[in-house]
This record gives sequence, C-alpha cells and structure tokens, in this order.
Amino acid sequence: MNTIIKGLIASTTMLIAVPAVAEQLSAEDIIRNANLASYYAGDDGRAEARMLIVDQNGNKQMRQFNILRKDVADHGQQNMLVIFSRPTDVKGTVFRVEKHVEQDDNRWLYLPALDLVKRISASDKRTSFVGSHFYYEDVSGRNPNEDTFELQTASDDSYQIKGTPKNPDSVEFAYYQASIDKSTFLPMQVIYFNEKDQPMRKMTVLKTEDIQGHTTVMHSKIEQLSDGSYTEMQFRNVSYDLGLPDSVFSERSLRTPPAKWLN
Amino acid sequence: MNYANLLSWSLGKPKIVYGVVILLVALTLAMFPRLQIDTDPENMLSSDAPARVFHNDIKTKFVMHDMVVVGVVSNDSIYQAQHLQTLNQLSQFILQFEDVISNDYLALDVVDNITQEFDAQGNNTGIKFSYLMKNAPTTTEGAAALEAAVKRLPMLENTLVSGDDKAAAIYIPLTSKDKSYGVAEQIREFADTLDTSLEIHITGLPIAEDQFGYEMFVQMGVAAPLAGLAIFLLLWYFFRNLPLIVAPMIVAMATVIIIMGSLIGMGFTVHIMSSMIAIFLMPIAVVDSVHILSEFADRYKKGEDVNSVLTQVMKHLYKPMLFTSLTSAVGFFSLLLTPIPPVKIFGAFIGSGILLAFALTVIFIPVYISRMSPAAIENLHNAVTRLEQKGILSKVLVALGAHAQQKAKLIIPAFLLVLGLSIVGISKIVINDNPVNWFKQDHQIRVADKVLNEHFAGTYDAWLVFESAVNNQQQIQESLHINLQDMQKQGLDVSQIQAHLRGKGIDQELLVLLDDLSFSVDSEYSESVDTMLQLVERELNERKVFMQPEMLDWLSNLQAALIDSGMVGKVNSITDIVKTVNRELRSGNEADFAIPESANGVAQTLLQYQSSHRPQDLWHFVDTDYQSALLWLQMTSGDNQHMNAVVTWVEDYIASNPAPIAVEADWAGKSYLNVVWQDLMVSGMLDSLLSSFVIVFLMMVLLFRSLKYGFLAMLPLTFTITMIYGLIGWMGKAYDMPIAVLSALTLGLSIDFAIHFLQRLRELRTELGSMSQALTQMCQEPSRAISRNAIVIAIGFTPLLLSPLVPYITVGFFLASIMVVSALVTLVLLPALLILTDKS
Repeated sequence: MNTIIKGLIASTTMLIAVPAVAEQLSAEDIIRNANLASYYAGDDGRAEARMLIVDQNGNKQMRQFNILRKDVADHGQQNMLVIFSRPTDVKGTVFRVEKHVEQDDNRWLYLPALDLVKRISASDKRTSFVGSHFYYEDVSGRNPNEDTFELQTASDDSYQIKGTPKNPDSVEFAYYQASIDKSTFLPMQVIYFNEKDQPMRKMTVLKTEDIQGHTTVMHSKIEQLSDGSYTEMQFRNVSYDLGLPDSVFSERSLRTPPAKWLN
Repeated sequence: MNYANLLSWSLGKPKIVYGVVILLVALTLAMFPRLQIDTDPENMLSSDAPARVFHNDIKTKFVMHDMVVVGVVSNDSIYQAQHLQTLNQLSQFILQFEDVISNDYLALDVVDNITQEFDAQGNNTGIKFSYLMKNAPTTTEGAAALEAAVKRLPMLENTLVSGDDKAAAIYIPLTSKDKSYGVAEQIREFADTLDTSLEIHITGLPIAEDQFGYEMFVQMGVAAPLAGLAIFLLLWYFFRNLPLIVAPMIVAMATVIIIMGSLIGMGFTVHIMSSMIAIFLMPIAVVDSVHILSEFADRYKKGEDVNSVLTQVMKHLYKPMLFTSLTSAVGFFSLLLTPIPPVKIFGAFIGSGILLAFALTVIFIPVYISRMSPAAIENLHNAVTRLEQKGILSKVLVALGAHAQQKAKLIIPAFLLVLGLSIVGISKIVINDNPVNWFKQDHQIRVADKVLNEHFAGTYDAWLVFESAVNNQQQIQESLHINLQDMQKQGLDVSQIQAHLRGKGIDQELLVLLDDLSFSVDSEYSESVDTMLQLVERELNERKVFMQPEMLDWLSNLQAALIDSGMVGKVNSITDIVKTVNRELRSGNEADFAIPESANGVAQTLLQYQSSHRPQDLWHFVDTDYQSALLWLQMTSGDNQHMNAVVTWVEDYIASNPAPIAVEADWAGKSYLNVVWQDLMVSGMLDSLLSSFVIVFLMMVLLFRSLKYGFLAMLPLTFTITMIYGLIGWMGKAYDMPIAVLSALTLGLSIDFAIHFLQRLRELRTELGSMSQALTQMCQEPSRAISRNAIVIAIGFTPLLLSPLVPYITVGFFLASIMVVSALVTLVLLPALLILTDKS
C-alpha cells in the first residue's frame, strides 16, 4: 500500500515537474543527467554482476564478478575494482580502474595464476570487456565530451538523442541513438549505426530497480545485430553509499581483494 | 503395340507426331529460365555424407568461412608507407560491401596488436591492446614499426603479410559465395583506379567457384550452339542437302532441350557435369538419324512408295539401333552407381536422353522423310550416291582393311604392346581435381593462385579438429538429481533445473540456473546448492581439455612437426594466441613465448586476449567449452596427393606421439573434402564401369546369340578405354571428374561401332560365304559409315578446345581421341582377329 502511494506521489510530481523542465533541457543537459544516473549513483556502490555471453550458435559462457566503485567527484574521477569469481579458473582476477574525464583512464590487472600485476592500456576504450559484447566503455561509462549531441524528439516518457563522435577514427560506429527515460534519465535503449545508417549493435535495459532511491539497471543486454550474438548482464546485491574507504581501491587490493566489502 | 504398328500409326498421323514433339519442346523450354548453376565441389558429396556433415558442423561450430583472398604484391617490401596506404584504401573499400561479414574480416587495418608498454625510463609497465594499423603509417619509421609488430604476431605473420614481406593479404568472408564474383569484379575495378605499382590478385575457393559458374554459364550459351553448328556444317559437307540435314539437327536439338528442360524443371541444379549434357547428347542423337537417312537413300528407287520403303528400312535398322542405344544408355545409367550426386544426375539424364533420342529417331525421322517433297527425296538419293563415290576416305579405309587382314599376325602383338603401354600409363594416373585448375594457366584466378602461393604460407585450407571425450556427466547427474529431489520434496520449485539437466545436461547454462537458485533459496538450502554448484563447476573445468598446458604443449609440438615436415606452410591454433599473450604479459622476450604452467594461467591469459577488439577470433580455434580445438593448416597446394600425405603424416605422428589426454582427430576443410569425394569417385567409377561392362557383354551375347561375337564386340571398347586412360596417365593429366565420366562415354560410343560392324559383317559373311570377302566388302560402305560418324563427333566438338575452362577442353580433346581410337580399333583390330579366328 505504502509503495503504491509513494509511486503515485512520485509520478504526480513528475507529471507536473517534467514537462516544465523538458522545455529547457538541452541535449547536453540530458546526457549529463544520463551519465550521472547511469554511472554516478550514490557516492560509492557495490554490486554482484553476472554476464551470460551467447554466441551466434547459442553457446553460453558465464562470467561472474563483484564491482566496487567510489566517486571522487560526480561527472569526474571514479575508482573501480572488479573482482572475478567465475569461471573458477579466472577466480581472483582483478581489474583496478582509475577513471578520468580529462585524461586516459588508468587500468591495472592482477592475474593470480601468473602472479602478475600489469598495467593495461588500449588505444581506445572500445575493446571487449573480457570477451563479452560489452565494451570496456559500456562498463565504465563513455565520456560525454567524446560526442556531440542532438535532441531529436521528446515523447511523453523519453528523449531521443543522437550522439555523433567528435573523432570518428576512435570508434567503430558512425553515430548512435539513445532513448533516455524522462523520469530516471537512464538510457533504456542505445542503437549504434554504421556509415550506411544500418543498426549494428543494440543495448537494451531489461529491468531496473529502485535501490536506496536510485533507479538502477539490474538487467541489460547488448546485441551484435549482424549475427544475433549477445551478452546479458545482471546485477544483484546492489547497494550504495557504503562508505568504502579509499584503501579499497589501492594497488594492494589487486592481490588481496578487500574481503570485507565483498559480501 | 510393337514398333511396326507404332510406325504405321505415326506415318498416318504426322501432325500428331509433330505436335507432340513441339509441345514437349515448348514445355521443357519454358523451364530454362529457372536454371540454377552449382559449382560447389562440396556438392560432389551427398548432403548426408558423413565427411560433409562433419565439415559443415565444424564450419558452424568454429565460425569458419570459405574466404575470398585478395593479395597485394609488391616488387620490394610491402612495408612502405605508400603501399600500406594503398592497402588500407583497398581494405576500406572492401569493408563497405554489405555482403562482407565484418566480424571475421581479416586485414591489417582491423586486427589487433598486443604489445608491451614502457614508462619513460624504459621499464616494462604493462600490456597494450590496440589496432595494428587503423591508419596506415605515413613515415618510413611507421612502416618499420609495423613490420616489427607483425613479426611478433605469429597469428598474422605469413597469413596477412607474406614471409618474404613482399605481399599482404586480405581475407574476405562473404555472407554467400554467390556474391564473390560480383565483389571480386568491383574490387578489380577499384584496384584499376588506384595509382600504385602494386599488383592486386584475387583468389580463394569461393571466387574460383563463383567465377567458374559465371563462365560456365557463358560457356553453355556459346559452346553448345557452336558444337551444334560444327555438326551441322559437317553434315552439310557430307550430304549437301539442307532439308536432309535439318532432320538429325531437329532430333538433336529436341533431345537436348527436352532433357535439359526436364533437369531444370525437376529442380536439379546445373553442375559442371550437367552443363556438358548438351555436348554429350548431341553427337549421340545425330548418329542414328544419319544411319536411317543413308539406308533410306540407298534403298529408295524413284517412283516407289516412300512409306513402304521406310517401313522396310526401319525394320532392318530397328534392332541394331535399339541395341546401340540401350548399351550406350547402360553405360551412362551405370553412373548411378557412383556415390557422387552430380555424376548420378549426369548419368541418369544422359541415359534418358539417349533413349529419348532413340524414340525420336525411330518415330520422328520416318515421319519427317515421309513428309519430304519428291524433289528433296531425289536430292537425298543423289547425296548418298555422292557419298558412295570413292574419295580419300574410302581409299584409306580400303587400304586399312587390306592391311588389317594381311598383317593380322603383326597387328595383334602391336595392339598387345599398346595395351601393355597403356596399362603402365594407367598406373601413372594421378587423381586430382582442384577447382582452381578448372581455369587455364593464364586465367587471372590461376595466376593469382600461383603468385599468392609463392609468397604466402598457402591459400589452401584444411582443418584438423581434435575432440575430447572427457565427460563425467552420468555420475554427477545422479548426485545432482538426488539433491534436486530433496529440494523438491521440501516444496521448492526446481523443475526448470531438472528439465535442463534432463534435456541439455551439464553446461554453463545449468551453472546459471543453479546460481539463480542460490539467491532465491533460504539459507538452510545454501549448502546443498553450493555443493551442486561446485560439482557442476568442477565438471565443466575438467572438461576444458584444451586449457590444460600439457595438451597445448602437445598441440604446439604437433604444429612444429607439421611445419618441419615441409608439407604445410603454416598452422594457426590456440597455442599461438596463448603464447603470444603470455609473452607480452611477461617479459616480451622469446623465452616467454610459451604456454603458462597451469590451466588457470591459460584461462587468465585467454581472458586478456579476449579483452581486445576481436575477442571472437579465439572461437575459430577452440570451442567455448574448450573441449575441441581446431588447427587451421595453410598449404600451398590443394592437390589431392598433397592432402593425403598430410593426413597420413598426422595419423602416424599421433600414433607415435599420443595426446596426454585422449582426443579424437578428424579432418574438415575443402581441401580435405576434395580428397574424400575424389576417393569415392575412383571407387565409384570402377564399380560403375565394371557393372556396365558386364551388362553390355550380356546384351551383346544376347544380340549376336554368340559368345564369340559377344567377346569380339567388347574388344574395341576395352582397348579404347585402356588406351584413353593410358594416354591420360602418360600425359600426366590429372584424373578429375570430366575424365572420370569419359569411361561411360567411351563405353557407349565404342560399342556402337562394334555392333554396327559385327552386325553387317555377319550378314555379309552369310551372303558371301567367306570371311575374307566379307571383310573386304566391309571396307566399303560400312566402314565409311563408321568413320563418318567418328569424324562427325570428333570434329563436331573442336569448338570446345577454344573454351577458357579446362574441363571443357579436356572433354573436347578426349572425345575426339575416343572417336579416333575406337573407330581405328574397330576397323583394324576386329578384322585382324576375325581373320585369325576364322575356321572356314
């Protein structure tokens, strides 16, 4: 009962608030909000993630990992730790990321079986995240400064925004079209197009949940449209504002993941 | 209704006969637009042939494509800024095609480089994934850096850039190979607009097949009518009478149209073999009509009733014509015994065509003659009289006949010697059918194939696939069942998991379901779920045979040994990927170009490899469960013996170096499939030849009611087949599909000559009472008829020699040889034998 009333109040507020705001919001504003909603919920956060990678033949692979995140500043630097638990042969593999906005991210990697800490870098952020259809950038968030935006249409519940890369050489697509929820500012669908205006790749949000007041994507999917292969990513045990100490994101955590914060 | 009744009925109803023929031709002609060309050598195996099924399973499982290969060749090093820019331009152009599968497209500008990263002090700090050459270098230093990078990437070296650095390659997977000719043409056109000193070559099986299909189509439209024209002109030369020679032409055309139309209408694709049906049927269809016309003209006297003369002629000719047609048809129907679908279709339709031609000949030709004007019939008579006159041909034949009788004792040993030599020749025959060789030496595809194989590790692929049988499913399944039943009793809904376990067994998806369960159940069950999770995980891990270092080392040793054998240019596999990433993760030095020591180490290395732009590349070499692995062998030759040698070598190697974990080895890839169907072709052809030989022999004994004449009738074809294949052996011409089916043609045509010869000879011998006199008489009209037929067929097909496609040239050349040899054998060997064995 309580939730229904809350929901009613929320939607009523929105009915009044959104149209008024929508008139003024530019494409850039919407994207800023979307970026915040997608990647900066709370001051820090934790989630258990599970990926199911499905190839064009229907073969499935599973990857499971914990993500810890702490923001240095909204829209700005973030620290992340990704700790793998499955498959068991990669258990203990850890990524540590310092996400920057004005410069390239710093990424480190720990491979327990080789007992090796390595810095990894890539010419761009559109490399696969551990063999899935998610790019590294899909996990950490694409820097809004990379693109120019155009608000194409706005319906009652969503904005249609076209993003065009400023440096087309750094990406594999020509532009993308994002459908952003007006109430949550979460991009619910993003379609990437090639030069011939053909859709190549599609991200869809399948399920969201309110967690500590933040509407959070709990289940999403990225499809490779040319061959029907896809990856689904599900989150569980999401929580925000845990008060993660900075030490969790230190180099030491690569070899010794902070067990205390991993359930 | 017997033939005599049928004949008198049709002579009375000429319009119905004409009408039926026209209707059949019109109906079947209407099918022609549905024509579908098929040039895929894979179709030489039936769609359920185990080797083909396996090949296609492997193609799907490892996402392997038949690729068009574009080679860019330079006089000097390809690692020069301007060359690399051209290469990129070309690659970008190709990538625009919608039919290119961009995921698996291979070129320097789309693949990744894996390198070490150093800080300002030169310390190795990390590993870097980047596009190898997203933009072509503009400087000499840039080009040199690229060269250094490629040399460190064993997956690319000698595949994307040749070992001698002079050539680069682009591998184009297409959604359908039917697109390859169109794409290749556009690439050629684009290449012509490039301002470059680079040579651009296009090869690969799909393009060879597709382009062959295109050229075959053109060929069919040109060669068959040209052959028809040649026959027409020869008939004209012999008979000089237009209405007369129109008759056999109509029979030939109607036969070809009805047969090809039915083939197309019944939904069969036109394969290289079927494309020659017209060429094979035309001479066979013409020959019988010529017999009728000659004999009619011979017997007809002015003022006689045409129909009654016709009836007489047909009564006399019906039986030998029926037998020659039946025996020829048997020769071709025997091809139905081969296990090769296109050959079966070819045999069935030519066999039916021969019977159809026979039916048309014995019904239509008499009707046609009966409808000729008296003037035309008079002309026919004159024409045949002209033919009876002595010319060079008849002089030669008389001399030949006399020689055969007098030197019989020399001729037999001479033939035996030739037979012996032929058998030696046959032993030299090499079985080989490589679609690239269907093009002439100077054809652009042939040239491209040669040039690229000189530079690269090879454009011919074979896939060696290993599959592990490690599976403890049953034991684990039981304990899982028990656990799940317990939960079910407690009222938990585990039906989905149970269903999955029953249906798909233990796999990654089961793990997902169990993982879901672990989050939905109360803590009292968590231990039980954890146990199940662990069981499943352990099993899945144990099955990952191709993550075990000892297995990868074994694979790696096999690869090295294969290269050392000198038969294989390059082997690509998961081991190169693991070793390369391991090296870059560690020191970057050659010493670390090795397989990590533990399976987890391998797994973590591969996890890194998959963090590149092209994670999917891994799945060409190993399946997602790591239970099977694929070695991609690049060879410079697609020849049968070569592939066979490699297969045997691998068998021996595995026998003496067994894998540490038992795996099964099997082959796929087009080069291997070629071996499979070519083996079937040889054994199948032998079966078909032997069985038709026996049937034809029995028919001959039946026809002549004599064992001796039965044997004699078989001699010309036995000699001809042996000599033709001996010739093929001595010439070093590979035994391929067209060559294989020539045996059926030889059998069918040689027996015709023998039947006509022996039939007439026996009549003459009874008439004249002496074998010697009968043989002398045979040198006149009967020999001329046989030679004339041989010449019509032999010369009629010279247009085939002008074809740009080798199989047509082969058929044209050997068709002519068969005619000459079998006519000679009939006219020389048979008299010699007859005179020696004559007891009178």
